[in-house]
Amino acid sequence: MKVFCSCSWGQHSRLFFYKAMLLAFLLLFFSHAFSPPLKANDGQERSFDIPRLPQRIVSLVPTVTEELYLLGVGDKVVGVTVYCHRPPEAQTKEKVGTVVDVNIEKIIELRPDLVIASPLTDHKQTRKLRDIDVEVEIFYEAKDFQGLCENFLRLSQLVGAERKAEKIVEKAKRELEAVKKRIEGIAKSKVFVQIGANPLFTADGGSFFNDLIECAGGINIAGDAKTGIFSREEVIKRDPDIILIVTMGIVGQKEKEVWLRYKTINAVKNHRIFTLDSYRVCSPTPVSFVETVKELVEIFHAQQ
Amino acid sequence: MHSSRISTWIVWTFFLMAILAGVAFFSLAVGAVDLPLRKAFFLLTKGRGTPEYTILFEVRLPRILLGFAVGGGLAISGVILQGMFRNPLVEPYTLGISGGAALGVCLNMVVGGPRGLGPLATPASGFLGAMGIVFMVYAISVRGKVIRLSRILLVGVMVSFMASSLIMLVMAVTRTEDLHGIIFWIMGSLEEPSAALIKTILFISLGGMILSFLFAVDLNALSLGEEEAFHLGIEVERVKKALLLIASLLTGCCVSVSGIIGFVGLVVPHLMRLLVGSDHRILLVASYISGAAFLILCDTLARVAIAPMELPVGVITGLVGGGVFIYALSRKGYSF
Repeated sequence: MKVFCSCSWGQHSRLFFYKAMLLAFLLLFFSHAFSPPLKANDGQERSFDIPRLPQRIVSLVPTVTEELYLLGVGDKVVGVTVYCHRPPEAQTKEKVGTVVDVNIEKIIELRPDLVIASPLTDHKQTRKLRDIDVEVEIFYEAKDFQGLCENFLRLSQLVGAERKAEKIVEKAKRELEAVKKRIEGIAKSKVFVQIGANPLFTADGGSFFNDLIECAGGINIAGDAKTGIFSREEVIKRDPDIILIVTMGIVGQKEKEVWLRYKTINAVKNHRIFTLDSYRVCSPTPVSFVETVKELVEIFHAQQ
Repeated sequence: MHSSRISTWIVWTFFLMAILAGVAFFSLAVGAVDLPLRKAFFLLTKGRGTPEYTILFEVRLPRILLGFAVGGGLAISGVILQGMFRNPLVEPYTLGISGGAALGVCLNMVVGGPRGLGPLATPASGFLGAMGIVFMVYAISVRGKVIRLSRILLVGVMVSFMASSLIMLVMAVTRTEDLHGIIFWIMGSLEEPSAALIKTILFISLGGMILSFLFAVDLNALSLGEEEAFHLGIEVERVKKALLLIASLLTGCCVSVSGIIGFVGLVVPHLMRLLVGSDHRILLVASYISGAAFLILCDTLARVAIAPMELPVGVITGLVGGGVFIYALSRKGYSF
């Protein structure tokens, strides 16, 4: 005990401090050391069948999760992100993190033979996964309907469902053509899409939103913007006929009220401010893209 | 008296090392996936290739090692700088090192920095940025052959502000895909896939520790004041330069790998000064060990708090470090 006396902190309280710390330590340490051991082998047979298609897929991209279900391989999905809301079955799968931040331990535990990531996934984490011999495929965000279909077909090749994918794409393309034909010749409305507030964020010409609006017979007033940040003054000047707010619930309502203050905008005058469900719109598959186009056509051309 | 002081130091060192070992084992044992440590030995011999082996030795262990290197490195940089500047508010990032590193990383991500380095481009550009800023601050503050400490501090703070403004500028004009990379880097993380890089940082950090220990006595003298140190026979300017170099290199290396992890370099030195006294011979050693333990512990908490998601480690270092420190201050009349 003598060794501790050289400091001026009271010996009594100091001893107590040590004991408390030691106790806390031991508790923390042993609470984990004595938890029941993992089962040595949980009977998961490793099948090395001739066509080595992935049997355990972790999807870190909401769109891809939805597409996997479309392709009929939803049962092979073993891990998803917390943002994978569509289809509802996906929500029952193990969550391994968000789109930008995943938990490597969880992924390894799931023993996937394919991980699908996006460029938003932390680069360090994708590198780490590749280092430990997990196959990682990165899917870039599609810029238009064409890119969407290409991504979809590439995914189908990975999981061996090309036939099904081709049929789905075929059907989506046909429907899209039909929609386009129907609105041919109708005057186009000027549209402003709001994706985020503070700063005001929109869809520039290079985003799939732009394609979405054009397919539905609208003109994206921010089509020439280089980045998504857009000023409110510019919106007022360009005077859109329709404002689309792609944000969830309460925020969307609040943003709508903000726009209502600017009475000179055509969209405000004519009460044509609409909110869209961001889960579907922001992670499009070829199928949901067409659905959204149809919905937008209703909105754009309702009063004409 | 002298021998009893040394034995006190030895006891402290062993006590802190025991804590460090405990924290390291704790960190190895917990995570999003439940893995009992008892199995670790079995895994070590036979478990190669199993997911459990990978999780323990290729996911958790590298983080612990990096936490050790970065925590220790930042803590002793803090000790060196606080002792040298005789200012309790100085920390490793005060001289603009973090700002420089962040700016380097930002520019690398947005306009593309050193090519051909692959995954090493980010740490390399961070390090270049940090060293560039330190050199600039140093060049502005030195006159003749004398480093004016009060000036270096002011210049450092100003340069930090300028760097953060420039970062905001870069972020405002950057693409969304790059933006989150920058934000994540700035928040700091011990996740680093490259084993070689972790080894390098470990080596540098331990080397820095040994080097700075050689200057412990000079630091003791310097913390009395420059004039006093001079009269005690210390080559003040040479020592100042050497210490500044050690602290900047250490901080620059740590920051460029792990991003900006705050609070370790500020709180740990103060806390250790409270516990072991302000003799730099023990203060440096104690700060290194406890800085390492502190960062590993914080990183572990950040990993498990909201699993499977992960908190930025800075959230925990700030909350835990600040809380413990304020508690310690209120328990004892502490003056720097």
